[in-house]
Amino acid sequence: MGNKRSVLTPTLIGIVGFLTVCPVVMLIFGSFSTGLGAFGKFTLDKYVEAYANPELPGIVANTIFFVFGSSTVATGLALLLVYLNTRTDIPFKFLFRIISIIPMMIPHLLFSVSWVLLLNPSNGLINLFLRQVIGFENVAINIYSLPGMILVEGLLDMPIAYLILAPAMASFDVALEESSRVCGGSTLRTLFQITLPILRPAILAAFILTLVRSLASFAVPSVIGMPGRIYVLATYIYQSIATGFAADFGKAAAIGMSVLVTSITLIYLYRHLTSASEKYVTISGRGYRPTVIKLKGARYPLFGIVGFLSLILIVLPVLVLFYTSLVPYSMVPSARAFSMMSWKHWIEVINDPVSLLSLKNSVFLGIVGASLGVLLSIFVAYVIVKVRSKASGILESLSFLSFSFPGIVIGVGFMWFFVRTPLYATIWALLIGYIATYLPYGVRPLASAFVQIHSHLEESSRVCGAGSFTTMRRIVIPLLIPGIVSGWILMASMFVRELTLSVVLSRPGTEVLAVQILRFAEDGLWGQLSALGIMMIFISTALVLMATLVGARFKPVEEAT
Amino acid sequence: MEIRIKNIRKYYHSGGKIIKALDDVTLTIPANRIFTLLGPSGCGKTTLLRCIVGLESPDTGEIAIGDEVVWSRNRNIYVPTEERGLGMVFQTYAIWPHMNVFNNVAYPLQTRKVSRDEIRRKVAKVLQFVQMEGFEDRPATKLSGGQQQRVALARALVAEPKVILFDEPLSNLDAKLREETRKDLRTFLSELQITAVYVTHDRIEALALSDIVAVMNRGQIIETGPPRKIYFNSTHRFVTDFIGRTNLVEARVVAQQDTVTMVSCSLGSVACRKKADVQPGDPVTLCLRPEFIRLHSGDAPSAQNIFNGEIKSLVFIGEAFEGEVAINETMLFIKIASDSDIKVGERVHFTAEPEHCLLVTD
Repeated sequence: MGNKRSVLTPTLIGIVGFLTVCPVVMLIFGSFSTGLGAFGKFTLDKYVEAYANPELPGIVANTIFFVFGSSTVATGLALLLVYLNTRTDIPFKFLFRIISIIPMMIPHLLFSVSWVLLLNPSNGLINLFLRQVIGFENVAINIYSLPGMILVEGLLDMPIAYLILAPAMASFDVALEESSRVCGGSTLRTLFQITLPILRPAILAAFILTLVRSLASFAVPSVIGMPGRIYVLATYIYQSIATGFAADFGKAAAIGMSVLVTSITLIYLYRHLTSASEKYVTISGRGYRPTVIKLKGARYPLFGIVGFLSLILIVLPVLVLFYTSLVPYSMVPSARAFSMMSWKHWIEVINDPVSLLSLKNSVFLGIVGASLGVLLSIFVAYVIVKVRSKASGILESLSFLSFSFPGIVIGVGFMWFFVRTPLYATIWALLIGYIATYLPYGVRPLASAFVQIHSHLEESSRVCGAGSFTTMRRIVIPLLIPGIVSGWILMASMFVRELTLSVVLSRPGTEVLAVQILRFAEDGLWGQLSALGIMMIFISTALVLMATLVGARFKPVEEAT
Repeated sequence: MEIRIKNIRKYYHSGGKIIKALDDVTLTIPANRIFTLLGPSGCGKTTLLRCIVGLESPDTGEIAIGDEVVWSRNRNIYVPTEERGLGMVFQTYAIWPHMNVFNNVAYPLQTRKVSRDEIRRKVAKVLQFVQMEGFEDRPATKLSGGQQQRVALARALVAEPKVILFDEPLSNLDAKLREETRKDLRTFLSELQITAVYVTHDRIEALALSDIVAVMNRGQIIETGPPRKIYFNSTHRFVTDFIGRTNLVEARVVAQQDTVTMVSCSLGSVACRKKADVQPGDPVTLCLRPEFIRLHSGDAPSAQNIFNGEIKSLVFIGEAFEGEVAINETMLFIKIASDSDIKVGERVHFTAEPEHCLLVTD
């Protein structure tokens, strides 16, 4: 078995290293070369061209406002929700869990589109409602603005912050607060001198992760920012490669370099902070149930806020899309609107060969991509958790590196690579790109699954005479099923909706759902967009359900460990 | 400062069932004594402590600390925890991980708006008292369990509270350290002349530390008294069983004599310590601690309370033999001197002084 294992680690380092390092290296080379077709001689021309742009300071300022603004919204909201959920007697707590998994169900692109449908200045439903029904003549709330972008991105990133803050708050020893009160500290003093400082590493970690997310965000800047001529770095890159025949991948790479460096720096900071927060782990009590803070009169008003949030996070986007897919043009819901409803847009989409092709491609990428991705993740997670050598440390760093990759930047890097291979403009280019970018989403749940499999379980299988592959098949894999399922669900739902990487790599013939939806948005075909968008949500949900059912069938006996 | 608790009740509703955490507790905790609430987990002792501190509110009743009523349902009084001026050591110590030792200990003084010089002086004094001088700048995360416990004690004492409360403060220490800390704590507290309320489920801790022990079960105070009285003279079956290892044998009163009460049970006829409030024919429980069942040397069983039994098991634990003996089919735990040379299977005579044969009722 020693042999097999010693081959396994270098092979995986090779594969993962290729997937993550290759686009970065190509990006660096690309940024110093003259053109996509041939590298040509070393040149700084593209940097000069990209960074001497007089519009750049404005774009950077927009980016900073957008990224910090939306992260503040996301972290602040998440903190409020987590606190209410874990520490107070707010009713209907199950809603909080739903809110926290919503981004898996509703793609960012569609969420952004639904806000455009609601709040665009000319015919957004809320604006129409204010003008036609209420009678405010000149009112136009404009979503195509920096505050609009910040709000939508903040709502989208909030669940990420929630997922980081929730465990931190749950493991918080309430005695730390109680002892402050016994020592004479008032509620406010306790909040600001005890609770928040102890949670600070977790709050900062959540904030930094949302910074990385919003820096890489493309859906909101393209759907909401670009129509309002508000460019951030992601859309600036997109603009330089999407202008038809004059696409300039060198310039894109030159800008991408600074986005990538920023992102990697932030992720490094994030990992540093999360290890710092483990320092604050104290002796855990033998469980006195934490006192729940009684909200009394504020109970229902606060629940009102949560209810409102879940309404706009879950119900509204789907409802608006469904409504828009049925009415002939944008109009306020009314008797007339309902009388004019038809399946026209749906029929148009089904008869549109490009939309159909994108549907087929996305389903293929979702199923095949996620399966291959999870397969790779199983081996990677195994080596990271169980082998624990210097080489496995390298593998771990490599496989989490892509966590900090902004999709559009890494797409540009891959473009420099694929253009030199027969993979260019094939669906396999997208597949490889997807797996490379989303590998951590597979490795992470599998790594935590492996951690739970005590090494004695494997060792006793060995003692019973099974080889390492038999052990893997008979003992390890069955215990891994929950991790495999959640990894597969994460990857498949990411792949079905993938936008940022696809927008660079997708060529005629390899259209995917998100790219096709973006085209519809650019052309203002909201009806068709909504119909296709709902199909996308259905596919994504169907895949999640399917994986859950399959997982339930193979689930080992409860509490196996 | 004396604590008076009157008719405190606290019910929890859990899954349609009502859990009586405190069931009409009335209790006076005397000033400047170490008072222990002892009981099995779930008996309500921690809930009672938290009601005194104010971290929990009872459903009914009244609590007064000294002359001040801090809680009263009828008079609608609730003094918040932070205004009760108490000190408390938590089970997890609750040392704030983002502060160093000095800031942890100084916190109660800061909330009371004490001047900086005064804070510095008092913190130094209390740290010396708990033998942690020189640790001021140590981050809280770099303290061992025993050190955390001392810092927690220093923090509870620094503002010279009227009352100090302990919620199982030794349960997170390992056995050896627990023993040492128990001794130190006893010394600290008797030096201070302070009212201390101490919650524990460990009977040895309770006996070793307290001036007065209150044994609790199912939300009620069963019996209150000094440790020796609780151990030797309890009249409650639950208390004798909980406070130490004991043999409980069902018996029936036969006769009241001048100095003893005669009962009959599976061991035969036994002379017990006089229990005046029972009549011949009443059911009682005979309580006989293992260490008071002694080997009877000599052949002729002449005196009172001589039992003949067969040794069924014997375990050498160093300072003694622990084992079981069968007397007329009844198994009794025994604990006999470690230099004894008896063997398993041997038939021997045992004796127990009437003074050590305690009669208890439910």
